[in-house]
Parts: sequence; structure tokens; C-alpha cells
Amino acid sequence: MAEVTLDTRPLVREAPPDTRGPSSPQSLTALWLGIGSIAAVLGGTIALILNYELSPRVLTPSCIDLQLTREIRGALGVCNFVEALRSSAETAVLLIGIALGVVAMTFGWSIRGRMDTLRRREQAITGAILGLQGVFIALVILAFREGRPDLFAKNFLNFAVIGPYFPGPFFSAIKNTIVLAFVGEAGGIVIGMVLAVLSLSTRSAARAPARAYINLFRGTPLIWQLATGYFVLLLGFDIRPSTFLVAMGIFALNTGAYAAEVFRAGIQSIERGQIEAARSLGMTYLQAMRFAIVPQAIRRVIPPLMNEFVILIKDTALVVVLGLTTSQQELFAWARAGQSDTFNATFFTAAALGYLVVTLPLIRLVNAVERRLRSGLVGIAGATP
Amino acid sequence: MSEIRSAPMPPPDEEPLIRMDGVHKWFGDNHVLRGIDVSLEPGEVEVIVGPSGGGKSTLLRCANLLERPTLGKVWFMNEDITDIRCDLDAVRTKMGMVFQQFNLFPHMTALSNITVALEKVLRLNDAEARDRAMEQLQHVGLEHKADSYPGQLSGGQQQRVAIARALAMTPRLMLFDEVTSALDPELVGEVLGVMRQLAEEGMTMMVVTHEMGFAREVGTWMVFVDGGVIAERGRPKEMFANPQTDRLRQFLSKVL
Ligand SMILES: Nc1ncnc2c1ncn2[C@@H]1O[C@H](COP(=O)(O)OP(=O)(O)O)[C@@H](O)[C@H]1O
Ligand SMILES: [Mg+2]
Repeated sequence: MAEVTLDTRPLVREAPPDTRGPSSPQSLTALWLGIGSIAAVLGGTIALILNYELSPRVLTPSCIDLQLTREIRGALGVCNFVEALRSSAETAVLLIGIALGVVAMTFGWSIRGRMDTLRRREQAITGAILGLQGVFIALVILAFREGRPDLFAKNFLNFAVIGPYFPGPFFSAIKNTIVLAFVGEAGGIVIGMVLAVLSLSTRSAARAPARAYINLFRGTPLIWQLATGYFVLLLGFDIRPSTFLVAMGIFALNTGAYAAEVFRAGIQSIERGQIEAARSLGMTYLQAMRFAIVPQAIRRVIPPLMNEFVILIKDTALVVVLGLTTSQQELFAWARAGQSDTFNATFFTAAALGYLVVTLPLIRLVNAVERRLRSGLVGIAGATP
Repeated sequence: MSEIRSAPMPPPDEEPLIRMDGVHKWFGDNHVLRGIDVSLEPGEVEVIVGPSGGGKSTLLRCANLLERPTLGKVWFMNEDITDIRCDLDAVRTKMGMVFQQFNLFPHMTALSNITVALEKVLRLNDAEARDRAMEQLQHVGLEHKADSYPGQLSGGQQQRVAIARALAMTPRLMLFDEVTSALDPELVGEVLGVMRQLAEEGMTMMVVTHEMGFAREVGTWMVFVDGGVIAERGRPKEMFANPQTDRLRQFLSKVL
């Protein structure tokens, strides 16, 4: 056959020109007022606290009045925090922030309609939004320091009490959290694949048990599954299992139910024509799945599966209901043990930071993968692996 | 056709390659095919025309059992393929199908689209599969696109790869379901050209199409499917010149 098609011309990749137009002194003023408000409130407060914490100081009489005495571990740090918040410098910083913010809001918002370039309007509106945020944060801090910042800081921000539980036990707890979630997710993916295949069967005899399983595990609380699963083994089967292993198993079983639905949706999202084309070439159902459908479905299920993983990381906290030995403690159990030893809840603040250290990079990764999928780079059309 | 059904075993050279015998198809309570008889001998091209929704696609899909007929039988190469004991996967390697939406595997290159079934179904080794696939790509004029992904090909090129993919299995019968309907007008010709050449080489084909010029020139037979029955069957030229039913007359006046 002679080639009669004109080959598609390669697309030229080139950034578009910036069409937002110039800025103006007016719009820049609104923008910088907003930035100034946020900077005064957030930057000023943080700078003051750091200054109080890092400069050599002693317990003040007012702190001692608040029961922050030398015998209390971390008392000086808490005292410095409270003194910084209640200092007149902080009052000045907050009032300046509020003043700048109010001006940014009213000025930016009132001039926005008169702005004649996109950049000018965006600067005016952004300034107003930042001003609003500055005012809001300043009011919250004002109200907070009128309350009992000393009690709050002593119980939730006294990182000195964590000393003996850090860094060894803390990082071991992070490791255990990741191990629990990872094993649960990996097991769940295997279970989910089997369940998905069963739940896609045209035979109700094969479908029914899969649906029952999925409904049971999606329809009951994970915390109930953990507690009951343990006693099913202990009493029902007279097995004395390690709680850590039971937790891994329940996480896998639970994730399996959710992963099954993700896989099923992924497979069903592939056009019918794909399996028909494969079958019309003589492939068996399983060959069609393996070579035509699943490779395409995989790309679509990666973001939802990663989301499930992020959720599971946080849900591992529920193993506290089972009780863990010290070396098995994950982040939440670590925090609870520390808190019950010291009667100080700062451990939970530290645990939250620990969770964020693990989840934030993952969340970023999920978003990046989703963006890539949406932009079609690994999507269905023009797939170029 | 009814005379075939009642006739004793015909002599081998007149044995139809495919015979559909009183095929009915219901989707739920939608009676889509209402008694279809088709008989096609090797080397013949049957073009299937008719209004949208008349059951043309369903007829074609009942031929390779992508849809199982509710009633009736389909015989292919002297085997009753509606018998549930029949190995349909083996049957389908002898019956290629090309779809309106191409249905190439988007995650594979043009070449892999063709070799995957050669390797996994026909169990050819890499080199054999590759040679055979390249031969077919050459046949449709696309050997230089072997390493392109479907998304990098025009619609016409994709459809030609789909045809090559089906032909690589060395089928005895090819089924085409409106294979040019999703193409931009300037790309229709290249695909029809491939099909015309295939007919000249003696391939047995069932072709659902709205391309009346193609139907007239390439079809050995033409059937007019309307309301789930074959309302008229004959030589294309005679049917165009001399339609017997009002419905066909109406249909032709609309599409010509
Ligand atoms: N898989 C299906 N499930 C239910 N109804 C279907 C299915 N396939 C086709 N039909 C129905 O069968 C009728 C004939 O469709 P089709 O064979 O596609 O007609 P044509 O190809 O002639 O346009 C239509 O009414 C259509 O809605
Ligand atoms: Mg159709």
C-alpha cells in the first residue's frame, strides 16, 4: 500500500508568553501590605519565641506563680514560651499585623475592580487575602494568650520531657508504623487482586463470597476488626498470637477489601473494546486480562492505592487497642506509653510530627503521579512508558 | 438460507466457510436478531448494510461468538461453534475481527500489538513473531511505524495496524465492523484500499459498512439488515439498481 496519510506534525513544545501585563505601584502596595501583615504576625511571633528560647534566661516570678518551678522538667522552656507570648513586643507585633492586614484588605479589595491588567488585579486580590489571613491569625494568637498558654505549653509543647524517649524509641516507632502499614498494604493488594477477579465473575457463586467479604470489612470499624480478630484467634482457635502479627493480618484483610474495589473500578474503567479485541485474537480470558487489561488498569489504580496507603499509615494508630510490647510500639503506642509515664501530652504532638514526616512526602508523590496521569504522560492516549 | 439447511451434505468445494443458521439474539427483552441465516463460501465477501440499530454489529459479533446467540447455530469450518464444548479461543484465531474504534492496545507499540497474540496464543518464538508482524505491517504500508504507540498514529494508521494484527493470525475469515466510521474523511481511503486489496487476494470477509461504493465494487453478496432480519440479499449491483423492498429503497435514497 502506498502511504497516503500526511504524517502528523510533531507538536512544538514552547512555553506560552506571559500575558498578565505589568504591575502598578497601587497594586504592589496592596500586595506588600498583605505580605507585611502575615510577616509581622507569623514572622514576628516566631522570632520572639526563638529569641526568648535561645537567649540565656531564668525562671521569672510570674512563671513560678504559675507552678512552673525548677523541679518540673522543661519548665524554663515553657516559661520562655509564655513570657514571649505575653511580652509587650508581641502585643506590638500583633497590633501592627492587624493594622497592616485591615489596610491590605480594604485597600486591595476596593481597588481590584479598577485594575486594568491581570497582574495588577491578582496582586490587589492576593494582598487582600493575605491581609485577611494576617488579621485572623493575629486574633487567634491574641485570644490564645489571654487563656492559659502556660498550661497548654506545659502539657503539649514541652519537648524536654521527650528526652529519654528520643531518638531511639521514637524512630523505632516510626519504623514500626511503616512496617505495619507496608505489610498491610502489600498483603491487601494481593488479597484485593483475588477478590477483584472474583467479584468481576459472571457467576454469582464466585461473586457472592467476595462481596460478603468486602462488605464485612468495609462495613465494620477497623478498631472492631482488630479487637475481634485477636479474640477470634485467641478464644475461637486457641492460638496465642503476637499482637503485632494480628495487627498486620487485620490491616491486610481490611486493606484487601478496599483494594478489591479499587482494582475492580480500575478494570471496569478499561473500554470494553480492549478485552473484545484481545479475545477476538484468540486470547483466553486470563491472557486478555494479563496482557491487555491489567497493564492499563495498573496505571489507573496507582493513585487510589497510594491514597489507601496514606490512610493506612494513620490507621495503624488503632493497634493501641491490642497492646504492644515496647519494641513493637508504633508511633501512637509510643506516644501513649510516654504520656502515661510522664503525664504529659507533648508525646502526641511529637507523634503527629512523626506521622507528617512519613505522610507528607507520600502525599506529594501521590499528587505528582496524579498530575502525570492527568496530563496523559502515562495515560491511556499516547502511552509512552 | 433455508435451502442450505434442508440440503444434504454439499460437495466439499461448495462447503460454506461460515454458516449462521436461524440465529436469534435477545438483550434482556430486546429481541435484536430475529432469525439470521448467512452462508459464505471461501473467497466471498459479504457486505452488510442497513440502518443504525438494525443489528448489524450484533450479527457480526454472533459470528465469532463475542455475543452468544440465544437461539440458532453458527458453523465455521465444519464445526458447530455454538456447541458449548467448542474451544472458542482456537476458533477465534481463525476468525479475525476489526472494530470501529480500532481497539489497539495503547500500552504497546504497533509491533507488540501484533506480536503479543502470535507469541501468547500461537506460541511463536520472538523472531518468528517479529518477522510475521513486520510482514503484515509492510502489507498495510506501515513497517516504518513498527515502534510507534497507537497514540502517535493517525486514525487511519491505527486501523491499518488493527487489520495487520488480525491478519497476522492467518485467519480464514475476517470480520469488519464499520471500520472507517470513526475516521476523518481524508483517512477513509487508505483503510478501504487495504480491504479492497485483501478481497482481491481471496480473503473471505464479512463487512459491515456505510461505504456504498466499496459495497458495490468489492461485495460478492450484499445483505440489507433491518429490524433484526435480513430483509434482502443479493448481488450488490443488482440491489443498488433494483431494490426489492421499500425499506431498502428508502435506505439507499438516504445514503447514496
Ligand atoms: N451488549 C448489548 N446489550 C444490550 N443491548 C445491546 C447490546 N448490543 C447491542 N444492543 C442493542 O441491540 C440493537 C442492535 O444494535 P447493533 O447490533 O449495534 O446495531 P447496528 O450495528 O446495526 O447499529 C440496538 O438496539 C442496541 O441497543
Ligand atoms: Mg454497529
